[in-house]
Amino acid sequence: MSAEHTVRPELGPTVSHDLSERDIDVLLASVEQPGSAFRVVTTVLVLIILGAWVLFSRQILYGLGVTGLNQPVGWGFYIVNFVFFIGISHAGTLISAILRLSNAEWRRPITRMAEVITVVVLAIGAFHPVLDLGRPERMLNIFTAGRLQSPLLWDVSSISAYFMASTVYLYMPLIPDIALLRDRGARPRWLYSFMAWNWQNTPRQREVLERASNIMMILVIPIAVSVHTVISYIFAMTLQPGWHSTIFGPYFVVGAIFSGIAALMVVMIVLRKVFHLERFLKEIHFAHLSKLLLVMSLLWFYFTFSEFLTAFFGNEPAEIRVFFYKFTGPYAIPFWGMVVCNFLIPVVLLSFRRTRTIPGIMVASIAIVIGMWLERLNIVVPSLANPRLALPSGFYIPSLVEWGMFVGGLATFALGFVVFARFFPLISVWELREGQETAVSETAERVASYLPDRLENAPTGETT
Amino acid sequence: MTEPRFQETPPWIAALQVVSVAAIWVFVIGISIWIIHLMRLSQTLHDVPSASVGISIVAIPVFLTGASVLTYVFVGLRRGATPSTAEGRGEGRGAEQE
Repeated sequence: MSAEHTVRPELGPTVSHDLSERDIDVLLASVEQPGSAFRVVTTVLVLIILGAWVLFSRQILYGLGVTGLNQPVGWGFYIVNFVFFIGISHAGTLISAILRLSNAEWRRPITRMAEVITVVVLAIGAFHPVLDLGRPERMLNIFTAGRLQSPLLWDVSSISAYFMASTVYLYMPLIPDIALLRDRGARPRWLYSFMAWNWQNTPRQREVLERASNIMMILVIPIAVSVHTVISYIFAMTLQPGWHSTIFGPYFVVGAIFSGIAALMVVMIVLRKVFHLERFLKEIHFAHLSKLLLVMSLLWFYFTFSEFLTAFFGNEPAEIRVFFYKFTGPYAIPFWGMVVCNFLIPVVLLSFRRTRTIPGIMVASIAIVIGMWLERLNIVVPSLANPRLALPSGFYIPSLVEWGMFVGGLATFALGFVVFARFFPLISVWELREGQETAVSETAERVASYLPDRLENAPTGETT
Repeated sequence: MTEPRFQETPPWIAALQVVSVAAIWVFVIGISIWIIHLMRLSQTLHDVPSASVGISIVAIPVFLTGASVLTYVFVGLRRGATPSTAEGRGEGRGAEQE
């Protein structure tokens, strides 16, 4: 929905005249004809998740001793994955809101997938600090005795708010498509009837939905930025070497958007192949997103360079210990792996038209997702392994339980997408139809408005 | 292409929709009460109440805005439906197009 036009002209029935019936069949195929592949994939993913929980049951029985956590490294994979998953969640709502707000017409087949990523990944990420507690039931203590001045509780507040705003932001543009499924008799009928809220595509309903979407679009951007800023405060508000940095807020936000776009590209490429969406997710969409990804890669490098140069130049002993622990010490491989994955590979592949193809973009995106996970690992562990106290450097080797929960988290992400695709279209039918019916003329009008006025149309006084 | 016929909402689903809006408000009011409780706790314990107030000023309005927007959508969509279908009597969208 456009931010500039509060009321659309009559768009007609729920089903488009412009999208052919075959187009709609393709877009709704995952809902209307899930096939046996859905059951197989779901079963495999559920088994992986169950396997992870079986491993985790050892932690419930024996406590955090079954993990690789120790003194002084008290945070490991769980917190790394928490920051990583929450970062990925910035793909969706933030990017979707910015693209909608800026009337980027190429957004239409992309926004739904991006918004789903946010909701699924946010739920997974937010759960990780509970895993890290050792006694997960003690999480309930925050309801009775939480300390609001702790950045950890700021996280709880901001992530809850972001989750709510993202869910609402995903749901509202879904309503017309849910109504389409309801009218086509998709099952379970009660679900679509319940979630469609009597949607009949009347002018009044469109006005309501558009107004509400515009409010959420504006609301969600500062919330999204605040979420990762607040996550950075968990680190930056301490005096730990390598963490106590004023640029951590924007550094985390940039990293989050960077990893989010990369994850979105991976999801788009996979789903394009699986659901035969080549006609909807065209190369032009990947070209635009890959340019954005390239810019984010350069921006990430600028922040990283700035962060490490400041630490190196300051030459403060505790900072330097962390610095060389990453550069040449035990974390040299994760550190340089991060630089290669986040900077070298994407810049080389995305800078040239010859390599900026879909396979090239896929390689760059996967590299960035891995690189950003390594970045989170490089932030969390080396600082804890080298505290300001006069202690020998610590080390951290994740246990099978932690690896299991990481794999379980990835499987949950995939399962979230599979389940969503089973019940809802992954590309907004309604937004594509709106694009075909109104966006071409609107865009022409908008472009015309950017150009200089003709002399005869200019207001009196300006011509003299 | 063939027009799918608008499916009317059964009364029990309409009731469920009203319950879901109520549940959203229970959730949001619950969160607001919780945040206020933590704020009062920090005051009782002389535990940096300023930070608590700052967070609360931001967090509570966000939740209230989200719930208000959802309620506006739910009520607006019901009211915006054509009268015949909202009362469960007519053809709905088809009638509107005629």
